[in-house]
Order: sequence, then structure tokens, then C-alpha cells
Amino acid sequence: MADKVEKWYPGEGKLTLGRTVLYVILMVGIISAAARLFLGLGATTNLNDAYPWGLWISFDILSGVALAGGGFTMAAAIYIFNLKKYEPLLRPAKLSAFIGYLVFVVGLFFDLGQPWRIWHPMVMWNPQSVLFEVSWCVMLYTTVLGTDILIMGLERLGKHDLVKFFRNIYLVLVVAGVMLSTLHQSSLGALYLLMPEKMSDLWASRAIGPLFFCSAVIGGMSVIIIESLISSWAYQRKPETKLLSSFSKGLGMALLVYFAMKVTDLYARGATVWVFDKPHFFFYVELFGTVALPAILLTFSEVRNSIKGLYWAAGLSAFGVVLNRFNVSLTSYGGYREFSYFPSFIEIVITLALIAGGILIFDLGTRYLPLYPSELSGEAG
Amino acid sequence: MSKAMLIDTTRCIGCRACQVACKSWHNLPGERTVFSDTWSNPRYLDSSNYTRIIFREVAKPDDEVRWYFVKRQCMHCLDPACASVCPVGALYRLDNGAVVYADEKCIGCRYCMMACPFQIPKFEWGSAVPLIRKCDFCADRQAIGLAPSCSTTCPTQALLFGDRKALMQEAHRRIGAHPGKYFPQVYGDKIVGGTAKLYLTPVSFETLGLDHRGFRTDLGNVPYGIYGREWMSKVPFVALTVGGLAVGLHYINQRRAEVQGQKSQEGKED
Repeated sequence: MADKVEKWYPGEGKLTLGRTVLYVILMVGIISAAARLFLGLGATTNLNDAYPWGLWISFDILSGVALAGGGFTMAAAIYIFNLKKYEPLLRPAKLSAFIGYLVFVVGLFFDLGQPWRIWHPMVMWNPQSVLFEVSWCVMLYTTVLGTDILIMGLERLGKHDLVKFFRNIYLVLVVAGVMLSTLHQSSLGALYLLMPEKMSDLWASRAIGPLFFCSAVIGGMSVIIIESLISSWAYQRKPETKLLSSFSKGLGMALLVYFAMKVTDLYARGATVWVFDKPHFFFYVELFGTVALPAILLTFSEVRNSIKGLYWAAGLSAFGVVLNRFNVSLTSYGGYREFSYFPSFIEIVITLALIAGGILIFDLGTRYLPLYPSELSGEAG
Repeated sequence: MSKAMLIDTTRCIGCRACQVACKSWHNLPGERTVFSDTWSNPRYLDSSNYTRIIFREVAKPDDEVRWYFVKRQCMHCLDPACASVCPVGALYRLDNGAVVYADEKCIGCRYCMMACPFQIPKFEWGSAVPLIRKCDFCADRQAIGLAPSCSTTCPTQALLFGDRKALMQEAHRRIGAHPGKYFPQVYGDKIVGGTAKLYLTPVSFETLGLDHRGFRTDLGNVPYGIYGREWMSKVPFVALTVGGLAVGLHYINQRRAEVQGQKSQEGKED
């Protein structure tokens, strides 16, 4: 089974230009991370008492987790809604989800003031705290995703007994993954329930939990599309255009639902929408440019059936999810209006290094793990 | 018995002895500061300044310009948002009303700083092993029967320490006894569910221009921790519902696919 996997990757093992760039960014990031650990947050970041949460929370944590929502979305589609035709997309989605959570955990490690205490929530409980719940869910869900990757590894190594064992309990993993994801994807939004007075009316919503959940589904689906297209381009495989075009219908639906949710929420709260200032500018870009526009684009079959169209629609919606997380956590946050925040060089470099590291791990995974069903016969469902 | 402090800002002369007393009791480093156009010094609370006097120069309705001095420090909420959000329970409220912090638990996530409606918890940004710092209501002094160092030092009795109930009565007595001298509301009585620091001011915090500088008046009377607790109380049900639906739908959809498969099989045989 596993030994049927053939080297299909052209130029395997070679240090291409792309990879060199990624390794350089990663190295600079590692040096910056060491500086961050030894010199402290004040010396290396632009965070301060007025802006305790900055780029790392907005991107590595909030955006990272939302974009990694593809793992549970795909698992739910295939195992719970029995949409078996999407199976070719499942394993890459799981791998990218796992990498997304790795980025989250490593990003969080450098963001915490006392990273060596990252395990504290395991033994020191505060069940009132949304962040406590998020940390448990993320811990458990990363374990679930890790187990998934482990199963792929075992398949590759031909340990059939172990693979069979995991296949038997596989439904447990799927259900746990979907449950944990539902909880923490929405709870990451619920973190902001406690600070309505510091947030712009545009994002300070009681419904922020469900909104975060829905946009995480969008983030996950668009990343699956982008990742599949980029993989086929980078590894010179035939893109799964037919499958992706059918999948993108789902993305369009999710965008419509999300748009309706956003509008209903704004209308119900009576938020002042039609004013022109900086937060509103970002709000318009988010709602119209990255939710409504891709939703409209995806109603055209020409867009769904062309690679360029898919890139644009999925790219816009993924960007929209990231923009939403930045808007909620930075644009909206007006705790100290006399201060402003822009991330420092080290903050930006560490974030870029996390992305570079994520891509490199994905590259490794693509080369060594049985990601595509064609590589394996007897894929259990 | 829940302790409190009545801060009568009309009695404050802006001498800042409380700032000095606080620093010396907590062993906080002195630092070179610069004079600023806000007159206040230091200009912001931070990890080595737990309290400060805000200087305000405001014109009264009769056009007379007057100085007002407002002490700022942790409000010691009766139901503190910081304690509610801390994932490891490093912040908690003692029976005597002091909201204190356990150095050894904190992971440095800074959610308390984000959640505090008064923006009080401060972070030791300069340290590689940073902790959260804020006024602790001199919990160690209270434990041995002493009043907080700031109120002990205050030369004009602007900082009255005692039981919260008695201080609330005293506050209302003062408002009643000197009509016109005080704004008729005690800040801290009900805001965010009540705080241990109670403020008597000559005019409202809006008039003082401080309602967006630590003394917000639009916070409502509900403790902010409630929003998190409300969410958390739903978590078990959401988990069970999602889990149950997932298992149920899995079997239903699987069975449906089987039946469909059989049907199409039968169709072929016919």
C-alpha cells in the first residue's frame, strides 16, 4: 500500500529559490525570536500598556486559527454530511489545519509574557474564563489534528495494525474535532464580549461568537481552495478544477449566510454604518469587498470554473477573514485613543517566519505523507 | 466584611503624598519624570506606579477656573472583570475586597489588561520575566490590621478607609449635608456592579473630562465578567448538541447513502 507511493515530485530534495527565501526568513525569525525571549516584550515589540495585544494576537492567533478552520469543515462535510466526493481535499486540509495550529501555538508561545508557563491552564483552572476554555480546546484539538497526521505517517511507514486501530476509533476523532472547533472558533470571538466599551460599534456585537464561527468556516474553505490550487501549481499536478468548482458553491453559500448574519446583527443593534472615518473604511472593505464581492463572484459559473476566478474569490474571502480579525482586535479597539500601534520589525519578522515555517512544513508533509488518495489504495472512509 | 475607600476629591490638595507612600510601601523604584502639559506626574499608571493624582483645571458654571485632583488606582471591583477573564485564576478577590494577583500563576497573556473597564492592570514591559502590576489595596497591610498606605499618609483625610456600607452612608451624608458642593452620585456605588473605591466629586466625571480617561460613566451597572460567564455556561450544552448532532448525522447520512446505493444496485439488476 504505502510503498506504492512513487516519487512524483519534480526536483525533489533540491534547494529551489522559493525554499531558499523561506529558509532565510525562518532563520531571521529564529534570531528575532531569541531576541524576544532574552530581551523581553517591551524591548522587541511595539506593544505597550495601551495596546497589550498586537499583531501576534490579530494574525498568528485569531487569523491563524480561523484560516485553519478547513480541517474541521472538511471532516464535517465528509464524515458527517457524507459528501464523499470531496475526499481528495481532506488530507491536505487536515495538514494545513495542523500547521495552522502549530503556528498558533508557536505564535502564542512568543506572545505570552511567561511562555514557559504555557501549560498552566492545564492545572490552574478558571472555568469562568473564555480564554481558559479556548486554551483547553486548542490543546485538545491540536492533539486530534496531530493524531491525524500521525495516522498518515503510520500509513506511510506501513504499520497497518496501528492504522487499523486508529481507523476503528476514527469517528471519535472526527466528532471531537468538530465539537472542539465549534467551541473555540466561536469562543475566540467571545473573548471580545467583555470589552464592548473599548470597541467600535461596528464590531462590538453580542453575536460575535457565532460570527467568528461562520467566518472560520469561510476561512477554512477558502484556504482549502487556495492551497489546492497552489499545490497543483507548485508540484505541477493537474488542478482539481471540477471538484473545486463544486466546492466553491459551498463557499459562496457560506459567504451569503455570513453576509446575512452580519447585516442582521448590525441592523438589530442599530449600529451607525454610514459614516466616513478610518474604522468605517476598513469596515466597508471587509463587508462589501471581502464578503459580498466574493459571494457575488461565486454565483457566476465562469468564475467557479476558472482557476483565476477561484483564486480571486477564495483569495478575497480568506483576506476578508483576516481583515475581520484585525478589525475586531485592532481597528475596533479604541482603549486609548491618544495612542496608536504599529507592529515593530521583530513582530513582523516573527510573524513572517511563522508563515514561512508553515509553508516549509507543508512542503515536507506533501513530500513525505500520503496526502492524495491516488497515492494510497484502500483509503478508509 | 468588605472594606472600601471613600475618595473625597474635594478634600484633595494634590500633594501626591499618596503616590510616595504607595511607592515606598511596595518598594517601587523611583524614576526621573518630565513635566507635561497635563500637570500630572507621572503621566500614566504603569508597572511601577500603582496610583497617581490626575490634575484637572476646569471652569465651573460661574466661570471661575478651579483645580480638581482625582486619585486614580485599581477600583477593586466587587465582581472584577480581570479575575473573571484570567485563564489561570491569577487574579482574585479577597473577602476584604482587595483584588490581588498571584505572581507564580500568571502566564502573561494580558487578557486582564484588555478586559478591565478601568484599564488598570499594567505589564512589566521592560522585563524578560514580566508580571502584571497594579494597586493591591495594600492587602498585606490589611491582613495585619493596618489601613492602606495611601490613606494612612493622606494629610487631608481625602482617602477614608473603612467598611463599604458605612462609607456609602458617609458619602450620602456628605452629599446631603453640603448641597451644591458635590455631584449627587457616588462613582463606584453601582458602576460595573460596584467597586471598593468610592468617589465623591464636585462635578461629574464628564465635566472633569475624565470619562474617557479611566473614569468612564457609560459602563453600566452590570459586572463585565457576566458576559464571559454567560458564554461559558452555554459551552457544555453547545458541546453536547454539536457532538450529538455530529454522531447522529453521521449515521443517518451513512445509512441514507447505503440505501441509495442498494436502490441503484437493484435498478441495475432489473
